[in-house]
Amino acid sequence: MGLVIFYVKKLFKIFRNEVLVLPSRVVVGLFFIVLLGLPLVTQDPYFIRIIILTSIFAIFAASWDLLSGFTGQMNFGHALFFGVGAYGSAMLNIHFNIPPWATIPMGAIVAVLAGLIVGIPCLRLKHTYLALTTLAFPIILLGIIIALPDISGGELGMTGLKRITESLLGNYYLHVGVFLVLAVIMWEITDSNTGIIFHAIREDELAVKASGINTVFYKLLAFCLSGFFAGIAGGLYAHYMRIAGPSTLGVDQSFTVVIYAIFGGAATIYGPIAAVFILFPLLEVFRLWPEYRMMLFAAVVLVILLYMPEGLIHWIRDKIEKECPRCKIRNIATRKTCRICTANLD
Amino acid sequence: MAEPLLVVESVNKSFGGLKAVNDVSFRMEQKEVLGLIGPNGAGKTTLLRLLTGILKPDSGSVKFKGKELVGRNIWNIVNLGVACTFQNMRPFRRLPIIANVMVSCLSPRSHGKGEWVKKVENKAMDALEFAGISDMALEKASVLSQGDLKRLEVARAIASDPELLLLDEPFGGLSPAETDLMAKSIRRLHKGGRFGRLHSEGPAMIIVEHKLQQLMKIVDRIIVLNFGTLLAEGTPDEVVNNPQVIEAYLGKGGD
Repeated sequence: MGLVIFYVKKLFKIFRNEVLVLPSRVVVGLFFIVLLGLPLVTQDPYFIRIIILTSIFAIFAASWDLLSGFTGQMNFGHALFFGVGAYGSAMLNIHFNIPPWATIPMGAIVAVLAGLIVGIPCLRLKHTYLALTTLAFPIILLGIIIALPDISGGELGMTGLKRITESLLGNYYLHVGVFLVLAVIMWEITDSNTGIIFHAIREDELAVKASGINTVFYKLLAFCLSGFFAGIAGGLYAHYMRIAGPSTLGVDQSFTVVIYAIFGGAATIYGPIAAVFILFPLLEVFRLWPEYRMMLFAAVVLVILLYMPEGLIHWIRDKIEKECPRCKIRNIATRKTCRICTANLD
Repeated sequence: MAEPLLVVESVNKSFGGLKAVNDVSFRMEQKEVLGLIGPNGAGKTTLLRLLTGILKPDSGSVKFKGKELVGRNIWNIVNLGVACTFQNMRPFRRLPIIANVMVSCLSPRSHGKGEWVKKVENKAMDALEFAGISDMALEKASVLSQGDLKRLEVARAIASDPELLLLDEPFGGLSPAETDLMAKSIRRLHKGGRFGRLHSEGPAMIIVEHKLQQLMKIVDRIIVLNFGTLLAEGTPDEVVNNPQVIEAYLGKGGD
């Protein structure tokens, strides 16, 4: 019994010293709790549906950040992975009658292949040229899909997909759970040594090569990882909406994800996710004024980017937290001295 | 006689009509420190870039410990044990200084070595300590001064545990005091030994430099390039007294 109390105390101590000291960690903790506890408060189908779609697009935005924010491979055709994931899992579901829980990972693997197909020719390209080339790929695929209506459903898309589960709560916890798990995985990837190499490739590719790192491998890895996560998002979307249509490959799909990521702050993973969770419900709020919906959306994005060019989340984080000038540990802004090295924070 | 470390045979490289490196051949012994000097535009940096694979030579061959380097990727060459620094420093500006060096430590050559040193951070920290900028390890690389960036370049190069280190103007833009410090570091590195967890066998070096006074104290042998061709080769004393070299640097006597 004493042992149990000891460990409970220890756990509480860790919680107090590691989580409660930083507002950003508290916010992340609250985010997890609120997201998982939301059905206890409301089970309004519309509301649940919005959160599910938000989660799906949050995976999508974070996967763009992994490729373009971290590795610096500007991808303006990220809808390709989303669309391939959606169409891949839809075709497997409809033509081969494979159940959805299997088709979504398989669709993601098809998206990984798409990542390789796009990544290999794009290895030699940089900056603007890369952006333009990647922009072309979803448009090409869209042309192919419309040209082959027997297989792909043409302009109407593939309808009649099965959902993984029909229950409201089941769907909610499935999508939110997958989103949270994938977000943590993506965060871990970018926080690891691989993440450092991704960062470095964005900064200066030649210097990374001269450090003895096989940049071709790491760039393809970034394309594949990003394709995998976006493919899962696409598959989830297709099975949740029960349709894989041409809109999943649209140019606007590619650009909204860029807007989300830049809005929240690129190269952070949590930035794009937070941005989706702010902007996507906001778009629904703007349905109150349907004529001005997109204009309001654009105004919000423009104002935020005008005053917070680093992204909203960066800006907020810098306001509520201060970095210790000596040991670079983050502290809550109200503290006078660093919590680790007791240096003055000013 | 031991096998030479590096054999460069009639290497050519031209940019359009300009012959940047014209039929240059030389060889290096193990643990030798070679100075590479020449007037501006003589092709020194180009020659170094040909050795590291950043540029591909038009013809000729470069053999490092009997292995052909021409046609290999940059990272393969680095993993064979040839590390280089850049003349115009290329740090990862938005990354902390330690992360700059960690990238180097993550290369297969460096990562695979040392059974009991698996911590990449520790190794990177020791490289920084050797270069003398470990106190700033957590700052962003963009805050570093010119001299400290040179040190960062050296730290990054030695972190990959090279056998041949190519230093491109290690004293460029440094104050006299900083130059002395850097020269000291280079001499210490060449002696070899253990710097924390970083073990150095004392790599051979090629140093490109304009500050001849400092260079002469470090190198065993000097190669002079002019207009892409090999002008002279020999010990520092021989080279300084070579009339051709004096002519290339100062022009012909007026009288």
